[in-house]
Amino acid sequence: MFALTEQPIDAAALRASLQRPEAGAFVVFEGWVRNHHRGRPVTRLDYEAFAEMAQSEGEALVAEVEHGFPGVKIICVHRCGDLAPGDVAVWIGATSAHRDDAFRAARLAIEEVKRRLPVWKKEYHPGAEPVWVNCTEDTGVARNAAAYNARQTALPEVGEDGQKRLARASVLVAGVGGLGCPAALYLAGAGIGRLTLVDGGKVELSNLHRQGLFEMGDVGAPKAPRAAMALRARNPHVVVEALSSDITAVNARALVTGRTVVLDCTDNFATRLLLHDVCLESGVSLVQAAVHRWEGVLNVFTRGEGGCIYCTGMPRRPAELDTVGNCSGAPVFGPAVGMLGLLQAAEAIKVVLGRSGDDVATRHTLLVDALSAGITRIERPARAGCPYCNRAGERGGAAAAFADVAPLWIDADDLPRPGPQRRVALVTAEELAGVELPSGFLALHPADTEGLGQLAAPADRPLVLACPYGVRSAAVARALRAGGVAQVFALAGGLPRRAVGTTRPHGTENAS
Amino acid sequence: MKITVKFFALLREQAGCRELTLDTTAATPVALYAELMQTCGLSVPSGILTFAVNERYVPAATPLAAGDRVVFIPPVAGG
Repeated sequence: MFALTEQPIDAAALRASLQRPEAGAFVVFEGWVRNHHRGRPVTRLDYEAFAEMAQSEGEALVAEVEHGFPGVKIICVHRCGDLAPGDVAVWIGATSAHRDDAFRAARLAIEEVKRRLPVWKKEYHPGAEPVWVNCTEDTGVARNAAAYNARQTALPEVGEDGQKRLARASVLVAGVGGLGCPAALYLAGAGIGRLTLVDGGKVELSNLHRQGLFEMGDVGAPKAPRAAMALRARNPHVVVEALSSDITAVNARALVTGRTVVLDCTDNFATRLLLHDVCLESGVSLVQAAVHRWEGVLNVFTRGEGGCIYCTGMPRRPAELDTVGNCSGAPVFGPAVGMLGLLQAAEAIKVVLGRSGDDVATRHTLLVDALSAGITRIERPARAGCPYCNRAGERGGAAAAFADVAPLWIDADDLPRPGPQRRVALVTAEELAGVELPSGFLALHPADTEGLGQLAAPADRPLVLACPYGVRSAAVARALRAGGVAQVFALAGGLPRRAVGTTRPHGTENAS
Repeated sequence: MKITVKFFALLREQAGCRELTLDTTAATPVALYAELMQTCGLSVPSGILTFAVNERYVPAATPLAAGDRVVFIPPVAGG
């Protein structure tokens, strides 16, 4: 419930109206008129409201807070007119089953009141002209923004002009999980003018080890508005919008259109391909990342620069994608997603700043391996025969026939018998100790791109790549396909794990 | 086209009225504000304003239509 009133607020009556047997906690916030402001005495305040809109905005913000904290009931009352020091200007009560939700909902409600309720106040000072608070340029906001950004603006590659570009930018963060949390945190810190977070999911306990915008009290709550709340608290100069929705073929185009850059921080291939297609068709740069266990892959797709996702041999067969590509619920190393999310923020900021050429990963795929502390950069050129690139800019271009594109992944059961194909396991010596090398596989260090180039050179024989989890080998296979090696495949699901307790060759480790 | 403008707080005092109906060619709220800064002596810099059309917050460059009710919103100071 929200109300504007010219009458003194009756706190006891409001408290009584919130009482209900299922509530175990009641938190109240009262905003009082102070007798001083910025070191000057204040004798009274005159509150003026745009009443029609204040009523509808107030009702909307109370409804949003209650929606964000299921089971919480809120009453918010704001005074108008002439108030003296000690008077209650705003009263917010929140009840919930447990204390945490009531504290947090009340806090959010007052922050939203201060952010958006169309109410102004005139301050009266003894012996001086009254002042409308915030109505002059010297509100402190602009001054604070300059100080906030000072260390970044001091970079010659950013400067005042770059900071203005960032402030004018509109960035979509699709997915607020392990990638989206760190990415959005650093985009907000960089002063991106408008940041839109889209995620239809709710916070789960198993998210917290890597999704740093959320706290224990957020578990069960919708992700996008909670993340937006955390970001607004960190940088009030940024407009943060939240949409609790999945990205679908229905809303994707509207969400992407007009953006400076889009970050794909989702965890499934269907959304990934959808965002890729819509971004390229809309001419909006896409910074895409994916993480599996310890490893991540990052690409920046910009129309007309470098290969698209289909140049890399990405199939469009949903069934095939479903079995290998979704990382929801999979084991994951927290810092690995954090690193990739930060890399996404870095690439997105450089896109906004207008950096080009090899400064941005538009023509490269970055492979990050947190376990072996390695970052590998692979060229990702456009493929001459790519059916998608040939239709770039056309709506629905991806609907072109992909029937001639051989599947990227092959199952261990489908490996051809030893014969003309070459089999290469991209593994470090340490990883090699933990996996079984199937018959015919040659081990090659993942960073040995020269050795790989030599192995890939004879194009007449198929090349099968493998790695511990199947991610690194797939990324390399895609890059090789983009470079013109058609007959390259990745072993689905990665290499089989060595069974626990199995002795190494030569029996040097005998547990008995 | 005819547009109704409502003024609040400092802008109300500077405009000298609560409401004004005027004939304008301004296509957007921000363009309309620039026009009124001249004719009504409004001093709040447009960069710190937000805009409402028909009692809803809208982007500064939203196209205006005849009959719209426009409000220029200085940084709010509730609470």
